[in-house]
Order: sequence, then structure tokens, then C-alpha cells
Amino acid sequence: MLAGVALRAAARLGDGVTAPVLDRVLRTLASRHRRAFEAMAEMREAAVLIDPVDQPVAFLLSVGPQPRLRVAAKDAPADAGIRGPLVNLMDLLEGRIDGDALFFRRTLSIEGDTALVVGLRNALDGEDIDLVADLAGLAGPFRLAVPRLRREAARLTGMLEGARALLLAPVMGRLDALERRIATPAPAPRSSRPGREI
Amino acid sequence: MAFELICPAGTPAALRAAVDAGADAVYCGFRDETNARNFPGLNFSREELGEAVRYAHARDRKVFVAINTYPTAGNLAPWHKAVDDAARLGADAVILADLGLLDYAARKHPSLRLHLSVQASAANAEAVTLFRDAFGVQRVVLPRVLTVADIKGLTAETGVEVEVFVFGGLCPMAEGRCSLSSYATGLSPNKQGVCSPASHVRYEPRGNELISRLGDFTINVFGADEPAGYPTLCKGRFAAQGADAGYLFEEPTSLNALQLLPELKKAGVHALKIEGRQRGKAYIASVVQTYRKALDAFERNGKVPNVDLDAVVEGARETAGAYQKSWR
Repeated sequence: MLAGVALRAAARLGDGVTAPVLDRVLRTLASRHRRAFEAMAEMREAAVLIDPVDQPVAFLLSVGPQPRLRVAAKDAPADAGIRGPLVNLMDLLEGRIDGDALFFRRTLSIEGDTALVVGLRNALDGEDIDLVADLAGLAGPFRLAVPRLRREAARLTGMLEGARALLLAPVMGRLDALERRIATPAPAPRSSRPGREI
Repeated sequence: MAFELICPAGTPAALRAAVDAGADAVYCGFRDETNARNFPGLNFSREELGEAVRYAHARDRKVFVAINTYPTAGNLAPWHKAVDDAARLGADAVILADLGLLDYAARKHPSLRLHLSVQASAANAEAVTLFRDAFGVQRVVLPRVLTVADIKGLTAETGVEVEVFVFGGLCPMAEGRCSLSSYATGLSPNKQGVCSPASHVRYEPRGNELISRLGDFTINVFGADEPAGYPTLCKGRFAAQGADAGYLFEEPTSLNALQLLPELKKAGVHALKIEGRQRGKAYIASVVQTYRKALDAFERNGKVPNVDLDAVVEGARETAGAYQKSWR
């Protein structure tokens, strides 16, 4: 979800804002996953378009001696392309799902230089990438808190949903009543029914 | 004796995943043409293999090194070095196919355990006995074309440990001799270790269809909601004698012989092998964990649990392959 928000924000920002951030992200990942970045550096210079199909923008990853990551248009020219829903691309990057299985199911599609895509996939899959933990360093003092937040994310989300439902129930009840009053010419009686479940 | 579970690893992370998920042994290869999964970004450097062996041995598991392509005449050094390095780094066995390389390993490293690769296509007792007597081969990985009855006969006759594939990709060909990919790409699975090399594969969307090409050949067109498969010629759809295009050699289906554990046990099978060094570590962890649980349950009470691995397999379908074949 956070990645989706970040991508939608990135779509509105220029290269001047996103490029330094992505450079730092790549430098941080390179320092923690030497094997993958050495493999990328050994590849011929080429660009891979990574397109989360459910988001407004894509990424262009340049491999070769100096790997580089940039926000790009969805039709940006590239030597190869990988397309799939953001959540699946994130799972793939972090090694939580097998790329071949996604491909067999047609959730993931690839185009262009297949060797480039396979090489990149294998380089990244050979690492234990955990984006939150890897990039926690960027958040300074929050570095130690981020892994714990991630572990607790499911529970926290559940608590937030519960709280949201509780807080919104009376509001939704009033809104329902208001809607009925607006929709009905004659004055409607006050609603006594509880708010609908959300 | 319990089955030994032999699992694939294309990267150090996959090896750790396999060990952690319950593999008894992991097989892998060096990052060059000496092994039959010589794909971009895959396989182990010497340093990584050393670390992998230490990781596995610390947990009482084994590492087998596949050096299972056929050396190029006049350029034996990479294959000899691979055998020497596997022995030096503490591999528990090397998996070989070539007669000359088996001879080299047997003479140079007499205490190194030799397994005969499926790439040798030793599919009968006479062949296996030859490898046993000539080079001291202690285990044979059988081709995926034999029935359980065939395996039982071979096991009884040779006395060599038998390892069979139970899960993953199928190969209906005479392994180590197949030239389909060589014909289409000029690169050989048996010499360069690349079946359908990615450098020669292209996927092209056409509307909702997906077209796969290998070299100059269109080998498949997948419909809108049809599961896709690997871009190998043997799994291509071809039109023959005026008929509609169909799977002439093999459908994109995955082997799963889990339900045959009782029969394989009775046939004298020693080890069960999972295919897929090219697959990601998530797949390895999932399949190995599932098989570990099933094997443990089988050893405890003789019953095989039902498992569902359709989601991760090619073609989203499974088969018991030739183990139960009723055709000739």
C-alpha cells in the first residue's frame, strides 16, 4: 500500500526530486546486496522497464557498470520489460514468490531481451532482500523501529480497522439518516438503526 | 531406510532455503558451461560453493555438485577443474555424465563419491552396471521415462543406489542426447548446458495472446487465459499432417510422483529428486517443505498425505509421468 502511495506521488514529481532519492535507494541496496549488484554491473549496458500495471508510473532500471534507477513513462523505450501488479513485483523482488510461477499463471509478462530479464531475476533472487529492513537506514533513528513495525503490521492494521469501524459507525448512521432526509421530500423520522457495518 | 530428499539450488539463497526447508542434500553447479543449467545469473562461484558446503554440513546435510555436461574435445580443463574444485571444497558427491570425466574423477579423486547424472541416460541394468564396474559409480539418477516396474528390476539387478525425479519439469527425451534446442539455437544443452537459452527466447504479446519463440521458430501461442509453459521445443505446439497445432511431444505439465511413494519404496528407490535449479527460492522453499512433511508422514504411518502444489507448477497441472504409463 505504501509503495503504491509512493508511486502515485512519484508520478507527480519531476526527475529532479525522485532521482536523488532513487540513487540513494540503489546505493543502500548495493551496499547490502553486493552479489546482486556485482552481477548487474557485469551485465552489458541495457535498460529494463519495470511496469507495475496497476500504478500510474513505471521504473527504468539501467544495468551495466553503473546501475541506475529512474521513474519512467510506461512506454519508455527499453531493451526488456517486466509487467505485473505492484504487489507481485514487490513479492518477486523480495523473493517471496517464484517468477516462473507468476509467468505460468500469466500474472507476470516479459518482453524483449529474455536473457536480460532472466539474469536480473536470478541476481535478485540470489539475495535475501527485505526492502523495509534494507531501507530502514534511510529513516535514521527509525532504523530499529521499522523491522518491528513490519512484524506488527498485520496486528496494527487489524486494530486500525477495528478502531475505524467503531469510530465511523455512529457517523455512518448519521450519514444514512441525512441521505434519507435529502432523498425524501417529506421530513423523515429520526433513524434509530445502528450504523452499517463497514 | 527413509528416502533421501535431494533438492535443487541455483543460488546460495536457494540452497539455504532448501536446507532450511528440510532437504537431506542439495545439488548445484558452478557458474559456467560445466553444468546443464548454465543460465544467466544462476549457479555458484567457487567461494559461494565453499560457503554453501559449510552451511549444509553445519546442519548435517549434503551438497552434490552437478558437472553433467559433456566436455568439448580439446578443452577438458574447465571440466577437470570443476571436479578438482568440488573435491577441494568438500562436496559430498559429484554428478557426472561423461565417460572421460568419470574416468578422470575416479582416478584423481578415488574417495570422491560419484553419482551418474540423468544426462548419461542410463536406462537399463546393463548400462548402470557398466558405470558401476568401470568407475565405481555409487548412485544413478534415472531418466524420467521408466515405469516403477522397470525401476524395480534395475535396482534389484545392479545393487547401485537409485535416485528418481519426483517433482518438477519432465523430460521425455533421451537426456544428454537431445538435439532439439541445438537445432533451433546452435547452442547445446549437453555441451554448453543451455536448453532453450534465454538469449534465443522471445515472448511477444499479441492482443490477449502470448507468443513464444525460440530462435527463428514460433513454438507456442497461448490463449488469453491459458497457463504458459517453458519455451522448449519439446513443449511446443506443432501442426502435423494437416491437423490443428497440438502438443506432439509433451504438454506443459509438471511431474508429481508423491502418491507413488509406497511403490517407489517397494521398488528399492534410495533417493527422491526435485527438479528446478532454475526456479526461485520461494518455489524451492515451498516444494521442499511440502515434500519434507509428506515424507515424514509417510515414514511415520505409511500413508501419503494429499498436497496441492498446482499453483507453482508449469501448466498448472501435474502428472505421475512415465512411472505409471499405460502406453508404449
